[in-house]
Amino acid sequence: MNTVPERFVVPIGPQHPALKEPGHFEFTVDGEQVTAASVRLGYAHRGIEKATEGRNWVQNLYLLERICGICSHIHATAYCLGVEKLAGVTAPPRAQAIRVVVAELERIHSHLLWLGVAAHEAGFDTLFMYSWRDRETVMDILEALTGNRVNYSANLLGGVKFDMTPELQDMILKGLEFLEQRTHDYVAVVTTDATLLQRTRGVGVTSREQVEELGLIGPTARASGALRDLRVESPYAAYADFPIVPVTATEGDLEARFVVRLKELFESYRLIRLILEKLPEGELQARMPRKIKPAETISRVEAPRGELFYFIKSNGTDQPERIKVRTPTLCNLASVCILAVGSQLADVPMILAGVDPCFSCNDRAVSIHSTKLGEKQWTWAQLRQYGIDYYRR
Amino acid sequence: MDTPQTLKIAGELLTGLAKNAAYPEESRLDITLEPRDLQEAVGKLAAARWGYLATITGLDQLAAGQLEILYHFCAGAAILTLRISVPRSPIPTIDSICSVFPYASIYERELGEMLGVIVTHTPNTARLFLADGWPNDVYPLRKDAVLEIRQE
Repeated sequence: MNTVPERFVVPIGPQHPALKEPGHFEFTVDGEQVTAASVRLGYAHRGIEKATEGRNWVQNLYLLERICGICSHIHATAYCLGVEKLAGVTAPPRAQAIRVVVAELERIHSHLLWLGVAAHEAGFDTLFMYSWRDRETVMDILEALTGNRVNYSANLLGGVKFDMTPELQDMILKGLEFLEQRTHDYVAVVTTDATLLQRTRGVGVTSREQVEELGLIGPTARASGALRDLRVESPYAAYADFPIVPVTATEGDLEARFVVRLKELFESYRLIRLILEKLPEGELQARMPRKIKPAETISRVEAPRGELFYFIKSNGTDQPERIKVRTPTLCNLASVCILAVGSQLADVPMILAGVDPCFSCNDRAVSIHSTKLGEKQWTWAQLRQYGIDYYRR
Repeated sequence: MDTPQTLKIAGELLTGLAKNAAYPEESRLDITLEPRDLQEAVGKLAAARWGYLATITGLDQLAAGQLEILYHFCAGAAILTLRISVPRSPIPTIDSICSVFPYASIYERELGEMLGVIVTHTPNTARLFLADGWPNDVYPLRKDAVLEIRQE
């Protein structure tokens, strides 16, 4: 028998056809245990920060909205709120309320999408299919509301583009009723289904301490008992008038992240109903200047995955001097590399999926390098299957 | 605790190190530091458990011949920005803060490749966002970067 501990490097990434975006991880494993991890991004890097410097304020709205295909609205909102602050303009209350409605609808679609992806990584494809089927309800609402399923383009500098008609409100309320009932079922499934719990309970546990140490944000932090939600901490748009009740859990494992995200859905349903009931009357857009005097601002909003951070600097022209975007996934990803260490290789897909990475995980080919065994090639599907089989034993 | 109070605590932690302090907005405090004081400043913030590092922004102040590096810390609604300027030439250099905030590594890698700042003692200097074939001497977020397609 071999007495020297085996050490393999398992590269995961950068491509995976089933998920949206690519990233590359290298996990060093000692037998089953992950002992080191590193990340390489940039496969979807499009140079958007640089590109903003050559476009005017209005053009940049459409560019920045395209940073993310899941949370496009929240990017536009962060940008608009920041630019409005620089220009000394405040969007009318009705526009701010509509921004929040779209943001919460977007959160519903994003959390349901995540539920499906996470269920799939756990090998629970029935849940994946149900949650994605139900997600179509909110996609239809978004499409009816804005004309688009993905880049809603609801925001304008100084306001929003469309009004909320009574017909649309009826459609939203009907959709929410269905989704609310479905969400109750999902909560029951993720907290009672023995097979799923085996993959989530006590897996990838992040303590409150670690949240502070690693700078975690969003639902990932909230599942560990840290109240990090900018809608509460620093209310923007209409969140000051329509406050949310933050959802937290204390366990910090993957199950807690499922529960936190699902319970946030109830909060979104409640908030949307409340806003529709008390929608402020008035204009949809305030007038914006074309040029903005030199200044700097920071705009932070709560994206579905956590804090989205925009640093915006103007220089007196109609173009920005610099725009810096820090997406929530970047914060949480740094933690994956640290959290994965000490866990089982079979849990890696779930730990990755647990932070809801918006560049997404994984991979076309996983190769295992070993001086003893030679090289073995695994696809992401094989690693996922390995995780499922490992727990079936 | 309210935001002005949170910012005041940060200001008090860093008195003695700050070259200049300003409140550009209600929820923001900007503190300008000498590069050599950065380690001590972030050490004090970490020891007092003041917020978390939200990100690091690099600004190219071409006219002044400086690169400005902004370390944004957030605690609730409060945002503290530590501002450090380093000369653009010959080689802009700054010390890593990873010994205090290990998760700063990802932002320091970004700063290095995008603005050409040499971050000393940072644990990982591998490319994070730029392509493998990207030329070593082109830092895209510098204002004078020439972004052209190079023929091999």
